[in-house]
Amino acid sequence: MKRIAILACILFLGSVSNTQAAAIVGKPAPAFELRDADGKAVKLAAFKGKHVVLEWVNFECPFVGKHYGSGNMQELQKKYTGKGVVWLTVCSSAPGKQGHVTRAEAKDLVQEKDAAPTRFLLDPKGTVGKAYGAKTTPHMFVVDPKGILVYNGAIDDKPSTKREDVATAKNYLAAALDASMSGGNVAIAATQPYGCSVKY
Amino acid sequence: MKIREGWHTYWKNPGDAGLPPRIEWSLPEGFEAGEIEWPAPERFAEGTLVTYGYHREVLFPVRITPPNALGGDSVTIEATFDWLECADVCLSASGQLRLVLPTSAEEARQSADAGLMTDARSRLPRPATGWNLSAEAGPRAISLAFVPPAGVTPRAAYFFVDQPLVVEHAVPQGFEHAGAGYRVTMAPAANASGNLARLTGVLVVERGRFQPRMAVQIDVPVIPGNPAPAPVPKEKAGSPVIAYAVAGVIIGFALAFIMRRTRRRKSHHT
Repeated sequence: MKRIAILACILFLGSVSNTQAAAIVGKPAPAFELRDADGKAVKLAAFKGKHVVLEWVNFECPFVGKHYGSGNMQELQKKYTGKGVVWLTVCSSAPGKQGHVTRAEAKDLVQEKDAAPTRFLLDPKGTVGKAYGAKTTPHMFVVDPKGILVYNGAIDDKPSTKREDVATAKNYLAAALDASMSGGNVAIAATQPYGCSVKY
Repeated sequence: MKIREGWHTYWKNPGDAGLPPRIEWSLPEGFEAGEIEWPAPERFAEGTLVTYGYHREVLFPVRITPPNALGGDSVTIEATFDWLECADVCLSASGQLRLVLPTSAEEARQSADAGLMTDARSRLPRPATGWNLSAEAGPRAISLAFVPPAGVTPRAAYFFVDQPLVVEHAVPQGFEHAGAGYRVTMAPAANASGNLARLTGVLVVERGRFQPRMAVQIDVPVIPGNPAPAPVPKEKAGSPVIAYAVAGVIIGFALAFIMRRTRRRKSHHT
């Protein structure tokens, strides 16, 4: 019986560990499969040969509100999907946490915001978010046609919740896409993302 | 700022998420406002992420320098203060601040808020005078070694880096007594850009139970190397992990005690 008691101690003490996964610029982007708002399975590997944007979202976060309220995010989505880029919006809010959406809610929000992602992906367990080290909403990633991560970071260089800052900001995501799509190197490939913490 | 229980606002480097407060001044002709002098921050767990900031109450001192000559009976200082406050959700807020101060040829007297200002100043990190500091960075760890002034015995230390993409904030920092001094070690950021030339931020040192923590400004050159991570100290009481561990130990001992009692009682019966 004493053994059970000691085991109880060990079990409680043993759960202390911390490892950090992250998507690293210049390395293959972590593979994943998630369900989209239609319930269809979406694999990153299926988009080999195309540029892929990953956008972490939480529609109740004021930073996301800045970029959707100003129309900035939708414009980027329309501009780049129009050029053949695959745009995946990912929601990693856990059930019960801020920004969590069901499939139906996701579809409604995409319509309401006039958003234009290629797919809206649901990651309620946060596995893909954690594999990428997605920290904030928004947090942006760009994967090149070979499956290599070429950008990881903020959407732009004006960390704020003010919509009017969009006009004067340098958009890191657009710069990364333009450079990579024209066969060049991405000059600023990693930045500190800004926003609300992802609600894992 | 008075911050509601359970909420926090952010330091100049907010860590994994968040946003530092911003002040836009509207000052009379010839007046100049300095930068916010940031009090030493604390760290907060936001889920699996770690952020840096303040809770309960914080005052952000800013030095405003008037011109050599003042005209009129008063000066009006106005500012827009924008900030983000988070608990498990985040709210962004904006406030208009206005202060009318009388001008006078007499020497300034302390106002009723002088104590508040003194208290705020005491929370600012001090220059690292009397501290011997060095930093080394490698693939496994970034190490800040320090020898504090005589009479300072650190029990724990945490380095709040103020540079982006240098450290993984959510990886617990190591701390050890090494040689004549101490070492704090941090996990290098997964997407760190190139070689780190200098390490800048605030080192916070915890001392004895009844001694206030010390905060010193750090700005040291970094030597490339391969420092080993120092062991991660057990979390302070109050963190959920430790609460579970303590609960585990208590349940464990309680079980052992009950079992022994039961066995003893059984042996009485036989």
